Amino acid sequence: MSVKTILADLEEKKIISSEQSSLIETYEISKPFSVHWELRSILYLGILFFTSGLGVIIYQNIDTIGHQVIIGLIAILTLFCFVYAFRNKNEFTWDEVESSNKLSEYALLLGCTAFLVMEGYLQFQYRVFGSKYGLAVFIPTVLFFFCAYFFDHRGVLSMAITGLASWLGLTIAPLSLLSGNDFTDLRIISTAIFLGVALIAVGWLTMKRDLKAHFSFTYFFLGGNLAAIASLIGLFNEGIKIMFFLSAAALSAFFIYYSRQKHALVFLLMGVIYGYIVVTYTIFNILPDDALSLIGISYFMLTSIGVIFFLLNVKKILGIKK
Amino acid sequence: MKKAYNTEWVTNIAILQLAESWLAKNMLTEDQFSLVKSSFPENFYKPGIFVKIGLFIFTTVACSFCGGFLSLFILGAFDGDGGVSMVAIVLAIGFILMLEFLIKDRKLFHSGVDNALLYAGLGTMLVPFFVLFNNPPVWLSCCFALTLVIPAFLRYADLLTVFAAFVILITLIANIMMKFTLGAALVPFGIMLFSALIYFVNRKISSAYYANCQLVISTLCLITFYFGGNYYCVREGNALLNDFIGPIAPQIPFASIFYFSTLSIPILYVIFGIREKDRTLLITGLLAFAFSVFTYRYYFGFLTPEQVLTTAGISMIVFSVAVIQFLKTPKLSLTDEKMGKRKLANLEALIASQHLGQSPMEKGVEFGGGNFGGGGAGSGY
Repeated sequence: MSVKTILADLEEKKIISSEQSSLIETYEISKPFSVHWELRSILYLGILFFTSGLGVIIYQNIDTIGHQVIIGLIAILTLFCFVYAFRNKNEFTWDEVESSNKLSEYALLLGCTAFLVMEGYLQFQYRVFGSKYGLAVFIPTVLFFFCAYFFDHRGVLSMAITGLASWLGLTIAPLSLLSGNDFTDLRIISTAIFLGVALIAVGWLTMKRDLKAHFSFTYFFLGGNLAAIASLIGLFNEGIKIMFFLSAAALSAFFIYYSRQKHALVFLLMGVIYGYIVVTYTIFNILPDDALSLIGISYFMLTSIGVIFFLLNVKKILGIKK
Repeated sequence: MKKAYNTEWVTNIAILQLAESWLAKNMLTEDQFSLVKSSFPENFYKPGIFVKIGLFIFTTVACSFCGGFLSLFILGAFDGDGGVSMVAIVLAIGFILMLEFLIKDRKLFHSGVDNALLYAGLGTMLVPFFVLFNNPPVWLSCCFALTLVIPAFLRYADLLTVFAAFVILITLIANIMMKFTLGAALVPFGIMLFSALIYFVNRKISSAYYANCQLVISTLCLITFYFGGNYYCVREGNALLNDFIGPIAPQIPFASIFYFSTLSIPILYVIFGIREKDRTLLITGLLAFAFSVFTYRYYFGFLTPEQVLTTAGISMIVFSVAVIQFLKTPKLSLTDEKMGKRKLANLEALIASQHLGQSPMEKGVEFGGGNFGGGGAGSGY
């Protein structure tokens, strides 16, 4: 099977004319090879490497290199990036903007990261913010939220949300949710749930009011996972189980409801998995131990088959078209 | 081997994908496209990636608890190891029958459930073998595993099974060669020869049913070919084989050949990738190049890791920006135009929060730039 045989097949079925077929064939032979994503990945990784390396180098050589020189260089880099992004920006709208300039969004990303490096350096060396660490985190957060909306940049938005979370003493990065947070503290757990729910609410408004509706995914995903995991851990460890049961169950239900609305199946998966854990834990917690040994194995066998059935027929059950 | 999935539908999927790309380029009209759709039907159940993941997870759970459930009844009836083998055989038959039934009945097509059932079936089939041969030699295990994995791959065209088959085959070859003194010295060349052979045979075959498997095969061939010629792998592997203990592995014979291949293979991959418009070659070449840089630094490195990161970062930024500027208009049959819609924008944003967005100064010591781990960001695109 090749393009040629397929075209011959289409021709034979009288779907395309022979001129069209030869046109398509020439296109297939001569079409240019796109290296767009390869270049973007190199650029993205380059930014990641550069800023990671730079941060460490500065920290290690803090006594030897001239401070002013360093600060000056990073400031120039930051400024250059922001100016470049600003000069190449598109007209602001509340919709998604398809960037016309090829590099401005990466310049913005580099600028924001360099800003973090610079601010960290200033604080370390000159104690600009004294012991007000909160302020030091808060400033980039505000700046990043502004940039995210102004330049329409999802990456910067999630950096801003990360900043907001760490201002409250939380880690929100998806892969560090468990390792980065001290969920043994009830206060941290409740802060996490409140922040997560607040982010979901913002995402909901974003979607309903059509204010950068494409940002809602980032809000929902980061906030939702934070709130759901915090609720689950609260359910496992804390005394007031009913509260955490309610919040975890409500979140799961919300995820499934939302996935039905927006056909975003990642939320369906989140809802099903969190929901399954909540229900299973609660059942095993309520039932007496004697009953458990009896139903334990068959419970998992039957329920997981049930979930498989649900997922296989999810479109029918939830009425998702498409 | 009779194929498990409806081959006609699989072919039709490939045709529809091509037609869709032509539609996007306005080379087909909407009417023509719907005609193509009706003349090349396919009716597989293909859920989105997330539903697939969910199905896979819950099928795995169901399979393991089925195993537990069955063990409760069977294990007690047997003495010694017989019971375990018995359970495994019954389960394997059950899983495979279930798999076949679901493919027929629910029209599954790599939908998560069938993948999980296949792996569970293959895994349980291995159990009696290992129970029977307590601690078997490597080559025997490899041979036995191959008799299971290769038919499974031919029938189900599953990506993990083809991956396993390739890895087992390479292990088998290396293991057999190492049994001879001359062979042991030639292991790198043996692996390179084998990879090259498979690669070119694989290129000759064009089959819609195995299209994705072929992609896996060619990627793996390119990787093993490169590793076979990579100085670091050869030197460290050699030290490992000779049970050398010490901080620095001893120099290897023919070192200059391996210096040369470490440098030239990635470059050749990239050049041919661009010339042949072969994305697999290009991306493997880029990653191989990164590994070659690592190899060089490992033996001749004069920079600290941070300095390497920074310089590598700068050169990557400069390189990509320069090429992007250079390709503002398509040149040398290369283009910087996006092919297809940007599907992973959300994922990219999340990666940014994972790696770039860490707070600037928790505890006053940690600097910006975030934690730097995994490094798998590149392959996500």
